[in-house]
Amino acid sequence: MTMRAYLAYCGKSFSKHISYRSEVWLRIIGNIVIMFIQVSIWKSLAASSPSHMLNISEMVTYSVITTSVMNLLMTRVYQSIDSKLQSGDICSDLQKPISYPWYLFFEQLGTVGFQLLFNVVPSILIALLLFGIQLPEASNLLPFLISLFLAMIISFLIGYLVALIAFWFLTTFALNWTLGALMTVFSGVFVPIWFFNPFWAELANMLPFQYLGYIPSAIYLGKIEQPYLILLQGCGWAATLLLVVNLLWWKAIKRLIVQGG
Amino acid sequence: MAIIQINQLVKEYRTNKRFTGPFGLIKSLLSTEYVNTRAVDGISFSIDSGESVGYLGPNGAGKSTMIKMLTGILVPTAGDIQVDGKIPYRHRKEIARKIGVVFGQRSQLWWDLPVVDSFELHKHIYNISDSDYNSRVQQYIELLDMGSFVNKPVRQLSLGQRMRAEIALALLHNPEILFLDEPTIGLDVIAKHNIRTFLRQVNQETNVAIMLTTHDLKDIEEICDRIIIVNHGKSVFDGDVHHLKREIGGINKQVTIEFHIDPGEIAFPNALLIRDEGVRKKYEFIHHEGEENSLMRSIMSIPNVDQIKDISIEDMSIEEIIHKAFVNLNQNSKIRV
Repeated sequence: MTMRAYLAYCGKSFSKHISYRSEVWLRIIGNIVIMFIQVSIWKSLAASSPSHMLNISEMVTYSVITTSVMNLLMTRVYQSIDSKLQSGDICSDLQKPISYPWYLFFEQLGTVGFQLLFNVVPSILIALLLFGIQLPEASNLLPFLISLFLAMIISFLIGYLVALIAFWFLTTFALNWTLGALMTVFSGVFVPIWFFNPFWAELANMLPFQYLGYIPSAIYLGKIEQPYLILLQGCGWAATLLLVVNLLWWKAIKRLIVQGG
Repeated sequence: MAIIQINQLVKEYRTNKRFTGPFGLIKSLLSTEYVNTRAVDGISFSIDSGESVGYLGPNGAGKSTMIKMLTGILVPTAGDIQVDGKIPYRHRKEIARKIGVVFGQRSQLWWDLPVVDSFELHKHIYNISDSDYNSRVQQYIELLDMGSFVNKPVRQLSLGQRMRAEIALALLHNPEILFLDEPTIGLDVIAKHNIRTFLRQVNQETNVAIMLTTHDLKDIEEICDRIIIVNHGKSVFDGDVHHLKREIGGINKQVTIEFHIDPGEIAFPNALLIRDEGVRKKYEFIHHEGEENSLMRSIMSIPNVDQIKDISIEDMSIEEIIHKAFVNLNQNSKIRV
């Protein structure tokens, strides 16, 4: 029966977003603009470099996929906790007979569901018309879907980790800044990791951020030889993060400090 | 049966020490010195099921801290605390099913969604059966007159409407204790009155224990049988309203009288002159048992009564009452109930 409560949260979170209709349009436009900028950069780069270096249709597809994946990430979970810690609203959440981490997860899931339906799908359709994208090989489809799921889980855990640290510092600003920078570089949103020099590529491979953009897109494009192995490593990351997060949550709940009053 | 039991409860907050002066900011950043503040300092009381208790005190007296400890979201520094026989911070989720909480300055409703959506969510969270849910929602919609706005998004409600919805939400799972943290803050007179009447009724009919913190003495007089006054983290008074009035010699009233022309000196046998600005004079009328209407009679009997332009009568503020309770209690230490 508790599952019903979490699904209800998921549903309410979904409908909450629908109440702002203009946001739907603005987000789609925003996505298309980002894709357009990336596509333009790759096109101009392709024009000035030897043809074997850059496969333009591949890069267009890569840009569209990473931008879309970015919309499905749950890292923003820390924003929810941060504002609630500042305002003290976290009290109300903690006074409910629910598991707070699961509540957060399903709240994010509702948001992601909304994003998928009203943002990602329309953006991809528009991108298909404007830029044209490659379709994946059938054998890559399953690992790609798994990688999307993994991206959601890992992003949630990273966001939640940041949020938990906020229980100690009571603000996430600095952490959030750092996280933003790390994600921009190491998730491979703007530049695929295969263009990194060996040192940076090695570093990127050692971090979990590549699962938030690069891995799904690379699997989609068939750039990864053993996708299942990579996914297994991703599961390892998820498990490690889960462990850390549980440890921190257990400590955080012991020393709850609620601001205000 | 005691549903809340608290014994010698202490809550200390540790904060970084702040320094002032030219290098104060840097010193504050690097320093490892801490300041301990005691928000709750050795308070003991117990509340029976079905009781209605006003928890009164000035800002910063540790009222909200107490509620947070009772609901299990703050861990006390020392002392014993039990709600329904359990330690709240160890059994947060179990305790949560037994309590309802309303924060006057916060919302538990989903801002962007209609009020009923929050109710439905609550139904799933607290696992309320369909029949219970439907009958209670129906009942509260009627009692709190919410019919006109249950289907509106919360952000479009007035503060009074929102507060009614908050209270209904907190009661949906039929809690044994209802905590209200300043439930009437910012409401107009009629809205305050409606909420007080409703809370009184719920308390008497459903036997839910009510513990409310407030600044407004009227809240307490209309809802609560018992008052606990706290100041600087300590309990200053614990007893019923009549008892408090007797203890502090009644609640005095401050009366400002404005005349058209300066009437000169006017003295009342039952009042002290606090301020005399000629045409505007301020008195404190001393309360005497059994002479509740002597105030108006005194004012009407002055010779310049036809020269009165305006009169305002104010109750003593909570701060003044606490001050008075303090002074009286210090003079007479046996009074603690």
